[in-house]
Amino acid sequence: MSEQIREQVSAFLDGELPSSETELLLKRLNRDGELRESFGRYALIGEAMRGNKPSLLRKGFESRVNFAIDGEPVPASSPAAAARSARWWRPFAGTAVVAGVAAVAIVAMQQRTLVTPGASGTAVTAQSGLNASVPAASAVLASNREAISYTVPQTPADAPAAPPSGRLTNYMFAHSKYSYGLGQRGVLADLLIEDDDQPGVVRQPAAQVTVPVAR
Amino acid sequence: MIQTLRQRACNSWLVPCAMAGALLAGAPAPLKAADDPRVWLEKMNDALESRNYDGTFFHLSNGRIETMRIVHRVRAGRIMERLQSLDGPGREFVRNNDELTCYLPDQHTILVEPRPDRGPFLGSLPRFGADTSQYYRLEALPDVRILGRNAHVIAVNPKDQFRFGYRLWLDDKTAMPLKTQLCDSRGEILEQILFARLDMPDNIADSELAPAVKSEGMRWVRQGPTQDAPSAGLTGFRASKLPPGFKLTVEGKQTIGGASAPASHLVYSDGLATVSVFIEAPSVPEEAASAASPDIPRDQPLEGLARVGSGYAFSTVIEGHQVTAVGEVPAQTVEFIAHSVKGSPDAVRPDAVPDSH
Repeated sequence: MSEQIREQVSAFLDGELPSSETELLLKRLNRDGELRESFGRYALIGEAMRGNKPSLLRKGFESRVNFAIDGEPVPASSPAAAARSARWWRPFAGTAVVAGVAAVAIVAMQQRTLVTPGASGTAVTAQSGLNASVPAASAVLASNREAISYTVPQTPADAPAAPPSGRLTNYMFAHSKYSYGLGQRGVLADLLIEDDDQPGVVRQPAAQVTVPVAR
Repeated sequence: MIQTLRQRACNSWLVPCAMAGALLAGAPAPLKAADDPRVWLEKMNDALESRNYDGTFFHLSNGRIETMRIVHRVRAGRIMERLQSLDGPGREFVRNNDELTCYLPDQHTILVEPRPDRGPFLGSLPRFGADTSQYYRLEALPDVRILGRNAHVIAVNPKDQFRFGYRLWLDDKTAMPLKTQLCDSRGEILEQILFARLDMPDNIADSELAPAVKSEGMRWVRQGPTQDAPSAGLTGFRASKLPPGFKLTVEGKQTIGGASAPASHLVYSDGLATVSVFIEAPSVPEEAASAASPDIPRDQPLEGLARVGSGYAFSTVIEGHQVTAVGEVPAQTVEFIAHSVKGSPDAVRPDAVPDSH
């Protein structure tokens, strides 16, 4: 970050940057990923971000949402990722916090006869009585890449991995229905945000995908 | 020349429309009343809900910075809103009155859900009543210039450590929050948004509210109104103790992320902050678990504290049930509430209690 930009950023964070320059800075940030990253780092140490310290957290837990765990089928889970997920949420036994939830989601999705509409965007969902107790919306957030490719074969095979699926996301999504006031914005914003870190994934044994839980 | 350019940029920065003029002219009031932070918060709520605006803001939280765009249009009593992440995978939320559509291109999914009675995406502050004043103190800080404009600074200070507070920089002309901070009880900043651009045009074209996400190849999922059957054994669960000021405001059921049965969903609020409590029975039936290989992990209970968005989530297991509290409140509040959850004796029937390893 050049000195000039650093000054601009600093002024911006203090709310002292004239609007004309703010617009230019914004345009630049939108164009320049590297600058945006530096801006993020700079913001971290700036006054604006003081108070956002990991020390606020109980020892042993990460400082941000690690869109955990359940139903994340792969990417070949690195030991680091597994360790991270283990630190993040502490299951009673072992590190694998997986399985049932995703399996249910997958079964539910399979029986919903979803179709992919054209650009007109007609929403289509199936109304399966059997699965009425598993609303699709919730299922989606727990679904994983395998589930998606199963239900929508058109999904490109090289789709980006690691959707932010996981229980925390699902809880937040459910909570956002009732969260109001200014807090709502934080909840929504967080749901919009990409998770940079690879979620702490735990390999899911293939057998689980077929667990017939929807009975 | 430079001056002229700046001047022009300033003019386009916020374009107050006739409505704003009317709004402010309608409330000239004595100086004292106009400076009342309550009045300014109401003006802000009004602006956020009833004005057209199109802005780009930075969202700083958890050591990250994201650029987002908000478009809000009120036309013939119909509210349309679009919140778009300009970074990353390009997720978007579009609200058309009572319906929320979430575009999740990274998941190849478009999710449609009824969201009746929701406030604007940017949020608003509930009316400051006597109840709220017991737990929060409103304070008008000295006016400042921010982003080249005059702003009123209002602090909503929590009176104890069980809730967060806010600081708001409200534009003198439009009452729009140019900058907002979420702070803890010591005044430390947890999250903030800063507008970098904000226009308030008379008209917003439909195209500005159309999602950038292409819907081809996406899976559409429509969530109907919840029709979950009551879950026996969950209805009796309640927080037995609450931090001061929190009350049960909503009680319902939700199926959380593909769980096999709906969870009980309790919402507690102090008038400003909300905490959701989810109570779930373990989701894998024994038969399914035993049919699978024994070393396959079952749906493990969660325990612990996590940062979510600008708040916290805390999970624990109580009477064999997974209990999770989540909200834009300090860690100790979610922890306090989750730990206090108890099932009532008649509601927890023996057959509803799962075997807890």
